[in-house]
Amino acid sequence: MSRKKPKASAKTSEPEAKTSAAPPPRSGPVLGERETWLAMGLAWLLPGAGHLYLGRKARALAFCALVFATLILGVLLDGELVWQLRGSPLRALATLGTLGGGLPVLVLRFALHYAGDVTAAGFEYGKSFILTAGLMNVLLVLDAFDIAKGRKS
Amino acid sequence: MSHFLLMVAYAALVSTFFSLLWRSEPRARVKLFLQMFLAMVLGAIVLGWLMFPFPSGPPGPVP
Repeated sequence: MSRKKPKASAKTSEPEAKTSAAPPPRSGPVLGERETWLAMGLAWLLPGAGHLYLGRKARALAFCALVFATLILGVLLDGELVWQLRGSPLRALATLGTLGGGLPVLVLRFALHYAGDVTAAGFEYGKSFILTAGLMNVLLVLDAFDIAKGRKS
Repeated sequence: MSHFLLMVAYAALVSTFFSLLWRSEPRARVKLFLQMFLAMVLGAIVLGWLMFPFPSGPPGPVP
């Protein structure tokens, strides 16, 4: 009942392993570490700024408009700006997600002292919008990294 | 705004974001947008109907 591996399959699997280990194809110029980190930092600080730094103007404008529209809609609904790192793990995660929004969220929290209105009808809905805006910006940071490393056009 | 309109606005924003992020061809973007938007809106409506027999709180006062 013992099975013998055919020699042919062993031979054919070798080139397959070589091709699978090959790096993904580059679709753009690869930036250095410093420029990559700068692009990611800018992308976090202001939605779309990282893409603008990388020369993707249309993409930057579209993403900036989308993230700001989501954030502003959440604020107009008096949604909660979650800011609690201790006590509840889920709220800590929500805080990190909200922090993904970068400078606009920090301005809301510390300059405008915005926290949301718990009595407002849109408190929970608005929280979802604000949190989503933060998570969108986190994805934009990763997108800026991919573009800077030439993994994405 | 009603809950339904807010849900539609949310679905539209998220679908637009991901279609721009994940697709580069205009046709593929429209296709992904429609897939995500309809999945979110219609999925929420279907879930709402499925949850209808299960009220979340005590019954209201009888007028």
